[in-house]
Amino acid sequence: MIEFNNVSLRYGDGPTILRDISFSIKKGSFHFLTGSSGAGKTSLLRLLLLSLKPSEGKMSMLGQEISKLDRDRLLQLRRHIGIVFQEFKLLDHLSTFENVALPLRVLGQQPKEYEENVKELLNWVGLGERMHALPNVLSGGEKQRAAIARAVISRPDILLADEPTGNVDPELSERLLHLFAELNRMGTTIIIATHELSMIKKFNYPQIALKDGGIIIR
Amino acid sequence: MNILNFLEKKDISPTPIVPTQTLTSNTLVFLIAIMTFLSALTFGGLILVQKSASAWSSDISREVTIQIMPIEGELMDANLRLAETIAQATSGVSNAQALSIEESEALLKPWLGEELDLTDLNIPRLVVVKLSDPLNADLLSLKNELKIIKGARLDTHDAWRDQLNTMAKTIIISGMLIFLLIVVATLLAVFFATRSTMSSSRQTVDVLHFIGASNRFVAKEFGSRFLRIGLKGSLIGGISAIIFYMLLGFITSSYLPSSSTEQITALFGTFSLSLWDIFAILSLVPIIALLTAYTSRLTVRRFLKQIAW
Ligand SMILES: Nc1ncnc2c1ncn2[C@@H]1O[C@H](COP(=O)(O)OP(=O)(O)O)[C@@H](O)[C@H]1O
Ligand SMILES: [Mg+2]
Repeated sequence: MIEFNNVSLRYGDGPTILRDISFSIKKGSFHFLTGSSGAGKTSLLRLLLLSLKPSEGKMSMLGQEISKLDRDRLLQLRRHIGIVFQEFKLLDHLSTFENVALPLRVLGQQPKEYEENVKELLNWVGLGERMHALPNVLSGGEKQRAAIARAVISRPDILLADEPTGNVDPELSERLLHLFAELNRMGTTIIIATHELSMIKKFNYPQIALKDGGIIIR
Repeated sequence: MNILNFLEKKDISPTPIVPTQTLTSNTLVFLIAIMTFLSALTFGGLILVQKSASAWSSDISREVTIQIMPIEGELMDANLRLAETIAQATSGVSNAQALSIEESEALLKPWLGEELDLTDLNIPRLVVVKLSDPLNADLLSLKNELKIIKGARLDTHDAWRDQLNTMAKTIIISGMLIFLLIVVATLLAVFFATRSTMSSSRQTVDVLHFIGASNRFVAKEFGSRFLRIGLKGSLIGGISAIIFYMLLGFITSSYLPSSSTEQITALFGTFSLSLWDIFAILSLVPIIALLTAYTSRLTVRRFLKQIAW
């Protein structure tokens, strides 16, 4: 489902952040992406989100070699990927409901079509009561769950999350991981960037570990 | 202001993705309102000039005057009667009548004041000749026949009319130029406002891209916001301009002393705009709104092309 072949990444003329990375990820799997702060986790996720192009090497996702894709095909491909940003990136003037509905709106769906789905998902992540609240009155944990709900509302094949437990207490982060595990059981391929060792130990999913620009899979 | 509320609120549909109430958008509404007001004034002014000029020239061409200068030893009254008779006998003339001294005074009053008394002055006297058929009137023979009256001269107002037309044309061309400049300035302002909105909304644009929005979608969202801004601004400007003209018409007809009203009316016709003129001025509203939306959409497209995925 995801194939990296000798991928390297540099920002402009800066130092090489990721060097000669090769790995492959199967459909329906669950991986932690680990590494200390600054190791390049966010950068790798951006490659996976197709928001950065590799400086060298080849990557393919969902069976398509991405350097061969034009803008439109890239857009189509990206619609199969859901992302939870480290800093959430919710739109401040839209309610929780509208933030979560955004990916469907972008696909051209009308409120009538998505209303039920969005409400159901909000209830599932425990935000049913906070539907009409604006992001700046939500707690860190609520924002986190809103961001996750937005990432999965369009039922992506791949879900990427950047330190989703970084801003929340241990109890909530465990609940969030159960939520990801649930999504994974329903068939979503999941990659979670984190540097929280306790989580990694507890859940014991395979790791893609970043160190000195290279990777170790374990 | 109900229409404006209607434009602002769209209860049925979801909140616009691009925030509608920001400082930039309010400033832009204000700016577009002013620009629309100015272009509507220019435009209305052009309509008035055009109307008065054509009213003048058609009035003038329906009329010629015979001027008789006072000359020692000539009997003015007899000459006036003779001129009337000659004129009436000319083909294409419907009527010829000498102006009495009182009528001459009335004509000059707006310019020279109420206390005017021409009785003692030796002024040229006029015979107004009305033409039934201005194109085929035999003015050449009239001119020849008038040679028998000493001091008589036929004034066909041709030079006057040519000058008037040139002046009207100059005014209209300058007005159009001003009008164009205002529109260009408005579009430039829209261009810069769009760019600044785009860069301050960079975060939103990125999020939209990351969740799978096409450039088309993003451009549409921004475009519809600017269409709304354009409509609101141009509506306020257009309506203010019409109110302005109505007030102006009202003031000239009821507040100014009558002699100045006469001068103004003599020069400009009445400051009244017909329904049709109001319609023409209001047609600026959608044009400016659409131009605004189109400009911002182009700007958004260019901005989106510049930012790589
Ligand atoms: N947009 C960018 N431009 C230049 N350098 C960047 C950019 N983003 C990240 N970096 C650099 O890349 C390295 C890896 O960063 P990042 O991928 O954010 O690591 P992590 O998410 O593991 O903390 C850091 O040294 C960071 O300074
Ligand atoms: Mg990071």
